[in-house]
Amino acid sequence: MLASLQNVSKVFLDPRHGRGLVALNDVTLDVEEGEFLCLIGPSGCGKSTTLNLLAGFESPTLGKVHFKGGLVTKPSPKRGVVFQEFSLYPWMSVLENVSFSIQGIGDREEREAKAMEYLRLVGLADFSHARPNDLSGGMKQRVAIARTLAMDPDLLLMDEPFGSLDEQTRRKLDNEVLGLWKREGKTVVFVTHCIDEALILGTRVVLMSASPGRINKEWRIDAPWPRDLASPKMMSLKEQMIRHLQVCQCANNAPNVRFVEIDGLTEKDDGKG
Amino acid sequence: MEGGKVLDRQAAMAEALRDGRSHFKFVPENWRTVLRSMLAALLGVAIVIVIWWSIAELMIYWRGAVFPTPPETFSRLWEALSGANIMGDSIFAHAQASLARWGVGYLLALVIGLLLGVTFGTINRLHDVGMVPIFIIQMIPGLAWIPVAMLVFGLGESATVFIILVTALPPIVINTAGGIRQVPPVFNRVAKMSGQGGASLFLKVLIPSASLSIINGMRLGLANGWRVLIAAEMVVGVAVGLGYSIFQSRYNLDFEAAFVCIIVICLVGLTIEKLLFVVLENKVRDRLGLDRED
Repeated sequence: MLASLQNVSKVFLDPRHGRGLVALNDVTLDVEEGEFLCLIGPSGCGKSTTLNLLAGFESPTLGKVHFKGGLVTKPSPKRGVVFQEFSLYPWMSVLENVSFSIQGIGDREEREAKAMEYLRLVGLADFSHARPNDLSGGMKQRVAIARTLAMDPDLLLMDEPFGSLDEQTRRKLDNEVLGLWKREGKTVVFVTHCIDEALILGTRVVLMSASPGRINKEWRIDAPWPRDLASPKMMSLKEQMIRHLQVCQCANNAPNVRFVEIDGLTEKDDGKG
Repeated sequence: MEGGKVLDRQAAMAEALRDGRSHFKFVPENWRTVLRSMLAALLGVAIVIVIWWSIAELMIYWRGAVFPTPPETFSRLWEALSGANIMGDSIFAHAQASLARWGVGYLLALVIGLLLGVTFGTINRLHDVGMVPIFIIQMIPGLAWIPVAMLVFGLGESATVFIILVTALPPIVINTAGGIRQVPPVFNRVAKMSGQGGASLFLKVLIPSASLSIINGMRLGLANGWRVLIAAEMVVGVAVGLGYSIFQSRYNLDFEAAFVCIIVICLVGLTIEKLLFVVLENKVRDRLGLDRED
């Protein structure tokens, strides 16, 4: 086991307005070495919070987050993150962006050589001197992946990295990520709200439900790649997942208490209203 | 355009439409945009002069005031630029004295303002407390600093520099701190994830990310410091300076001289702003990969 959340709850407080939000409620999740774990679920189900806890950007309100046997207290290059939003520094060239992430390693030439190596890996060696703003959305995310891989992390955390891209680019990059995962042998936790993407990529898919964030169900997928989403097995998995997504969405309106916004006031909603 | 020559915009557009191409290039029309902005500037100046002239004539007609008209003022400006004295000194001596005082005051404001802004921008606890005095200082008009300056420094250069410093300071602090606090969280997270903090985070991430806001603060500070010149030079005691001359004109009723000094203040201020800040800002915009602003 590479990383884990043990009975983790995460509560966000807004003292000024006297509001609290339970983002995660008693979540236990093990990340196994070498797996490609996909977290899916509706927005607001705590997928990103889970990722941020693993990365060390947030600390749990209750429970513990472990990585390689130690407690996670702050971010580390051993846990690399590819962010949902474009996160390259626009004032640095592509090459500078990648070598910035390995600042601590060797001298400048060594860093640049390593950065080039990873840019080559994502097929952007020719763009090493371009500025991020001159690249397309898909290319930016490829650079972000190169940057994170260059850090040589043990755990690769990807937070809907292709969420803002068009469908074709997304499929293409999904395949590239799959190739990199096989080649580099990293452990990946991949957050997405797209069932198809999870089915194409994951060795395990964990479905989370919203309000408050909980783990709802998980599936192991041992089908080989490239996966055919039209195959009976995949179709049936997809059906199951959709059914569970709907179940947990309905559960929102049923017994559990949640926060709803009514004219800026936060009220408890017991689902009867 | 592959291979072929670059056409002007009409021809290039027609060719692209005919050939069904989605992208085309045409000869850049720099001169056209430059000409347009120059015309706009000239028109703007013309409006100012028309309004000024109308008011002058009206005042002369109704109140019998000796309101300097544009032609009178410009001919006096011409004389002054050719070497004639105003209030006992040449216009160049006045401008030089004012520039020197402003330069010292502004440089001090820059150093103090950037240090405070960076401190308040990075340390949250200090921000909430530290910005209160800055906002209070910002609300105090230039003239109101005169008693303070005189009580602390007496009459003299220090009092003048103090007034310039204290009016230039707030926008520099506010914009520097604000710019650093508005750095997108993801930029911070990227640095932290790759194990960097301290100097590297600060110099390579926070400062570049906040640079446009910082420059904006420096620009506002510059304008504030220059505009407060008259108030500042009321306490200078010595008989040289653009603000001092304007202030003195009410004693010897040489309003033309005052108008000449006002024009020189405007021209110098605009020139410094255009030369220094438009160039600086465009450099930074290039670095940040943003569009230039004219």
